[in-house]
Amino acid sequence: MFGGSSDKKTTGGKFIYREEVVGHVFALPFIFGFVCFSLIPIVLSLYYSFTDYSLGTKQAELIGFKNFINLFQDEVFGKSILKTLQYVLISVPCKLAFALLVAFLLTRKSKMVTLYRSLYYVPSLVGGSVAVALVWKQLFARKGLFNTVAKSLGLATINWFGDEKLAIYPLVLMAVWQFGSSMIIFAAGLKEIPSSYYEAADIDGLSGLQKFFYITLPCLSPIILYNLVMQTISAFMTFTQAFIITAGGPNNGTMLYALNVYNQAFKYNRMGYACAMSWVMLVVMSLITLAIFKSSKFWVFSESES
Amino acid sequence: MKKRILATLLSVTMAASLMACGSESTNESAGDTETATETEAEVSEDTTESETEATEEASTEETESAEDTEAATDEEPITLRMAWWGSQDRHDKTIAAIELYESLHPNITFEYEYYSFDDYFTKLKTLVASDEVWDVFQLGGNFPMYLDKIHPLDEYIESGIVDVSKISEANLKTTQQTDGTQLGLTNGINTYGIAYDPAMFEEAGVELPTDTWTWDDYQAAADTIHEKLDIFGSSTFLTSDFIAGCSTYIGQQGELGQYGFFNLDLTGMGFDDPQMLTKFIQMRADMINNGSYPDAGASAEVTNIENDFLVTGEAAMTWVAVNQFPTIYDVCAEQGRTLALAPVPRVTEDGNSGAMIQSSQMLCVSEDSEAKEAAAAFISWFENDIDCNNILQAERGIPANEDVRAALKESATDGQQIMYDFVDYISSLPTPEEINVLSPDGQDQVQDNYLNYIQQVVSGEITAEEAAEKTYSDAEAIFE
Repeated sequence: MFGGSSDKKTTGGKFIYREEVVGHVFALPFIFGFVCFSLIPIVLSLYYSFTDYSLGTKQAELIGFKNFINLFQDEVFGKSILKTLQYVLISVPCKLAFALLVAFLLTRKSKMVTLYRSLYYVPSLVGGSVAVALVWKQLFARKGLFNTVAKSLGLATINWFGDEKLAIYPLVLMAVWQFGSSMIIFAAGLKEIPSSYYEAADIDGLSGLQKFFYITLPCLSPIILYNLVMQTISAFMTFTQAFIITAGGPNNGTMLYALNVYNQAFKYNRMGYACAMSWVMLVVMSLITLAIFKSSKFWVFSESES
Repeated sequence: MKKRILATLLSVTMAASLMACGSESTNESAGDTETATETEAEVSEDTTESETEATEEASTEETESAEDTEAATDEEPITLRMAWWGSQDRHDKTIAAIELYESLHPNITFEYEYYSFDDYFTKLKTLVASDEVWDVFQLGGNFPMYLDKIHPLDEYIESGIVDVSKISEANLKTTQQTDGTQLGLTNGINTYGIAYDPAMFEEAGVELPTDTWTWDDYQAAADTIHEKLDIFGSSTFLTSDFIAGCSTYIGQQGELGQYGFFNLDLTGMGFDDPQMLTKFIQMRADMINNGSYPDAGASAEVTNIENDFLVTGEAAMTWVAVNQFPTIYDVCAEQGRTLALAPVPRVTEDGNSGAMIQSSQMLCVSEDSEAKEAAAAFISWFENDIDCNNILQAERGIPANEDVRAALKESATDGQQIMYDFVDYISSLPTPEEINVLSPDGQDQVQDNYLNYIQQVVSGEITAEEAAEKTYSDAEAIFE
């Protein structure tokens, strides 16, 4: 980038006015932050994943692939992978479907639309906060709101966090509830669909449902792809809910991957092992994202091709 | 001209954003509760070394005159960072004690942080990694992990800065290394017990716990109370289930001092047969299935002793470290209930009690501290000063200093009196000559797995025998 000798001649003047210099100067704060707070830690964590680094003793001896081999003998690790996959596979589709539904309902022309759109965005604003997680914990507690209501209606109460199989659903529900950011993106996408398509469909006599499946969904598919990728990645990194509401219990039934990494690093002092887990996570997430992209050519509609 | 304006704007923006970056990074590395003043103080100390020396000299003088509470105002200011874990009650009392010390020593300012138990150690571990451990910090039986960061007190005891004249040899020993290095001063001595509500026992027609009651009695009582009153017989032991099951239960078997969960020098296991654990795990699983002990979901609702099911009236018994007893006694007294304290159940009526008198926690000086003498002097005051301990009210355990203990006993509340009598009683029981109450590095994971195995036994995934085997091999793996 610094090469262009012809540029030098034409621009002349002071060093700072050269286009490529100005660009780098503008980017400097980001480059500085990225190198110090992202790149260096990332490279270090790769190194530490081959050591037995512990926060307490601060010794880090190289132990080769032992951390990675140990992973496969670790019961909790296996369970946390399964539980995380279950969480992602349920929460992401539900969240996207819900976000699309609400966005679709809010496309009609009404004065209240902006208000509703803001209201539905609120849960995403308070998103991963500790306070919401604590409220959730109370709502689903043995004597919490949901069980109290169920009891007064004469229904059986449910011990949400006492049952290994049930405990993950309140967490899933919390993720689905925070559909706001996907909804906003869907809403923007819906506005971009030319109304002439719908007019043509009206002339052809298509029903509302048919219009949705034959016009809305295909035109929206690139947006769906974007949301799907973003939400999948963020779902894999879910931490707060599991940490605050259930602490991974009962019997590791909500031991999401990020929480397990945290426990290994800061609770059990096995920083090297936790680094190895993070890298396994990176590989798994990359593969899944890649699979989503590869599959996209079968279901994402692009106007240039048709 | 236009270009020049642009360039000026550009450089200003860049400078501003760089500054923003810089300040952000200091905040992050300094930890969330530290204030900007502290950072400044550190900087000034760094720049003038002579000043630091003067500070240290001053602190020596200051501590020598600490006894007569004469505060010299012209001394160099010292900032001490301190942290502890505990309940709200402890936070309030400790802050009051710190404020008293600050008023006696105007040159010393404290920056204190307080946490719950788990969060405290998470924070401590990050500080260990960055060599920024608080000047004065609290440690429990898990101190072997942090030995590198503890500055021993021996030199200060020799020079008279730390006063141990009123602390008995036995109490000093609770916070010593095996080679006699004094790591810290104990905040108080402590032991475990079962707090219970006698009125609930009577209502359910269950006999009250005796001094030699067994785990069978405990289970039967809990089951009956659950049946009759539809509450939990016993509240959750939380993480103490590991201490109750693995440490105490193993020590109660065999001859006095024959078994311990870990061996005396923390290099291996203290017993050979994993099946010695089976009965306890089976009992715990049976009680959960029965409804007389909280399941995982209910257990998660209890976050500290102040919202324990015994306190909320949803259970008739709970496991306590006895220093917690006065707090819950007072809360229940406000509800019109009177709690009592019983020893931990035994395996057999005439067997070992398994009870251990131990240091609840200790205060240590950090190796990273720049004002070690001032920190040591504060610890000495904290443990030995009667006014200070009148504020603290033995909330951390029964004071090790004889004079302080005598002074506190005179004004003891009902709950505290029960605690004092209980510790006297436990002290009179035969105990092994040498015991190990410490936890090796790695015990946290063994403990979490152990609690999970109990849940797996509850759901029928594994048997109690398998759970015992797994716990044993997990624990053994620490020493590999």
